[in-house]
Amino acid sequence: MSPLIRLLAKRLGTSVIVLIGVSLLIFAIARVIPGDPARIALGPNATTEAVAALRGKLHLDAPFLTQYGYFIADLFRGDLGLSLYTNRPVMADIAQFLPATLELVIVSGIMMVAIGLPLGILSARRRGSWVDHTVRLVTLLGVSAPAFVWAVVLMLCFSYFIKIFPIAGRISDTFSIPSVTGFLLVDTLLAGDIKAFGNAVWHVILPAFALALSGIGQAARLVRSNMVETYDKPYIEMAEAYGFPEKRIARRYALRPSLIPSLTIIGLDFAAMLGSAFLVEAVYAWPGLSRYGVAVILRKDLNAIVGTVLVISAVFLIVNLIVDLLVSILNPRIRLSQRAS
Amino acid sequence: MKMRFKAVAAALLATVSLHGVAAAETVLRLDEVPVGELDPAKASDYADSILMFNLYDTLVIPKAGQPGFDPFLATGWETDGKSYTFKLRTDVKFQSGNPLTADDVVFSFQRMQALGQGLSYLFTDVEKAEAIDAATVKFTMKQLYAPFIAALSRLPVIDKKLVAENLGAGDGEMKDWGQAYLSTHAAGSGAYKVVSHNPQEETVMAKNAGYFLGLAPKAPDTVRFRYGLEAATVRTLISQGEHDISSSWLPPEVLKSLAADGAQLLQEKGTTGFYIKLNTAKAPFDDVECRLAVSYAFDYDTGVRMVGVTDTVSQGSPSTGAIPVGMLGALPADQVTKRDVEKAKEHLAKCKYKPEEMKVDLSWIGEVPLEERFALLMQANFAEIGIKAEVKKLPWALFVEQISKPENTPAVSQVFVNTMSADPDTLLYGMYHSSSAGTWMSPEYLKDKDVDALLEKGRTTTDEAERAKIYTDLNLRLREIAPTIFAQDQTAVFAASNRVSVPALSDPSKAYALAGFGFTFRLMEMKE
Repeated sequence: MSPLIRLLAKRLGTSVIVLIGVSLLIFAIARVIPGDPARIALGPNATTEAVAALRGKLHLDAPFLTQYGYFIADLFRGDLGLSLYTNRPVMADIAQFLPATLELVIVSGIMMVAIGLPLGILSARRRGSWVDHTVRLVTLLGVSAPAFVWAVVLMLCFSYFIKIFPIAGRISDTFSIPSVTGFLLVDTLLAGDIKAFGNAVWHVILPAFALALSGIGQAARLVRSNMVETYDKPYIEMAEAYGFPEKRIARRYALRPSLIPSLTIIGLDFAAMLGSAFLVEAVYAWPGLSRYGVAVILRKDLNAIVGTVLVISAVFLIVNLIVDLLVSILNPRIRLSQRAS
Repeated sequence: MKMRFKAVAAALLATVSLHGVAAAETVLRLDEVPVGELDPAKASDYADSILMFNLYDTLVIPKAGQPGFDPFLATGWETDGKSYTFKLRTDVKFQSGNPLTADDVVFSFQRMQALGQGLSYLFTDVEKAEAIDAATVKFTMKQLYAPFIAALSRLPVIDKKLVAENLGAGDGEMKDWGQAYLSTHAAGSGAYKVVSHNPQEETVMAKNAGYFLGLAPKAPDTVRFRYGLEAATVRTLISQGEHDISSSWLPPEVLKSLAADGAQLLQEKGTTGFYIKLNTAKAPFDDVECRLAVSYAFDYDTGVRMVGVTDTVSQGSPSTGAIPVGMLGALPADQVTKRDVEKAKEHLAKCKYKPEEMKVDLSWIGEVPLEERFALLMQANFAEIGIKAEVKKLPWALFVEQISKPENTPAVSQVFVNTMSADPDTLLYGMYHSSSAGTWMSPEYLKDKDVDALLEKGRTTTDEAERAKIYTDLNLRLREIAPTIFAQDQTAVFAASNRVSVPALSDPSKAYALAGFGFTFRLMEMKE
């Protein structure tokens, strides 16, 4: 078996165990949150009979493990139950809200890599210069303020004072795009509507940038520090002594080993954005899963809480898996260690 | 030839202008807190009410600028006190094209009772509803129930035939009573129909061309009802002309800055009170003297100033008691509750508990940050008479759970309560009748025979003047025993762009005493 496939199988196995653990944990935690979910769902003035009937329907009076059993049985049928918040199947809610969040996070991730890495490389190659100092200062700002602060600041600067970007939503009201994948950037292209695609891009830039700023700062600083460290290695000195061009040294000998730890952190940052997207989604009225997740927690919507957390966990695990694979491609030692084991 | 050319040119110009006018669709954009509940039998909060009043119609609607109700889907009614017979209009059609008949009214009532959610509690005293003929419906009460006509303003009439064609899985003849269908579709006769609905994002509505009353040309063609916008987002959207009416949940500072930018401030008064509730079931507020002490210690004027928006508009006005000024039984506006520290100290001296022994927890609902300011104000006010109090934040879900037992109920709780049906009974019975204790509306756990007797009399008295007297007496009794600090009458303030005119929220002579009814879109006018 190839080392990569062995790594993939190993990681998939542990991911399944993690998901089972997460489901049990969140299933228990959701039930510890104060409040009767049936009462919250039906409203403070609902009759006792209606509340009792809903409790029965949700198996809330059954022992914990029995409830978990019902949940797993439904899950295997692809049913996450009914959301008491939206009165729709949780699956339908997730299918509707997840693409919006993923779209936002993916664009943020692209910004993180496309802006963070070059900034880090530039800073490392010009270490000690004014370019380096400026990049370090700017990236420090990105890291030090949370995404929602940037969301409000960017909205004020570029939507209110200088009217360049739209304030809220995923696309202007004038466009009506049939939902195929739920990803507006894809659906607009599938519909062959370039104007709508441009409009969707125009809408995603500001929220994605607000969400990515912290990651950009972190990626840039990490790549810089790793590259600076690598520049001190004897093999770089040797390359310099041989008269290799600086560009080649930077790209081939300094960047590649520096990318390995950076990639792991970027991967974690990317996955963490799924959770931290909530406030950015709230500020930009972005109808995503993070916002839905917080709303269902506040209303103790048990099925929706468990469903949302499971989906976010699954995406988190998938991202980590991809990062592991990328790292093992970049670093032959990991591949070889799989073969040896 | 020249004349003919001019005539043709003029005709062309006129055609182009007319086309321009016809094509200029007006869009109203407003927001509320999520989630927007489309099913009228589950409607209970403000967003749901706005949807309900526009997608569905009711037998009666509130009178403009005064208390009382006018027939709407009904042409009139007769009553002997225990039963009400309504004659229906015969020219009303649902949006599906089905005619609206007495069967639909009966079905709507039965559905609300069967689901037992939303505002179904308003109809617990109704024994049955029956269709006498296609245009006559009769409701029979279990006992005399004077607020029934007011309650009918919350019974939207649903298209029975359409729902029957779309029943989801469930037990019995009516299966799920169309719950799955009505959570995403409307089945009403209202002036607006649903174009799309996402309970977390927005509901888009369009004019119902077949509306039985016709629709004013200036009423908005399309309405985009958005959910869950942040204050900063609404602030920016309105400033940029991309939003028309905010929710009433914006902080006073944001409303003030929008007003300074030229936004108009719409107001809804006389439907809601802000109540600071004292737990009468445990020390120290089981002693009326202690309750009166803190009632006199509270700084009402500062409370009103705290929610001031401009010099003339505030989110609160001085209260005269349990019933907001303007509603049946309210005390006149010149009898406001006032701070009197000396009186507070006198009552405290008569209280069986010493201030230093008192353990007072001042709770505020985590989802309503404004209440924290009131908790801090109370903490300072109570400290002035020697009572030390601790401020405690409670999420709504935890609050509702805690108040189910008097021993767990905080000494002081803060809630906003509105009438739901414009009748004082729906406001007061749930708060102060001893049988209602222990809900979010009644953390006082009040047990007072006089209050109970007046509340029961108010329900069974059909003469309006007599009812007004009963509720005035009740109001005075409640001020006397002070189970609640009547902090202020709430004014819902909405910031709005100048593109829209909303007479019901800007002209007191056209205002309705029913929360949310001012957002009847057919009565609004768009200016462009």
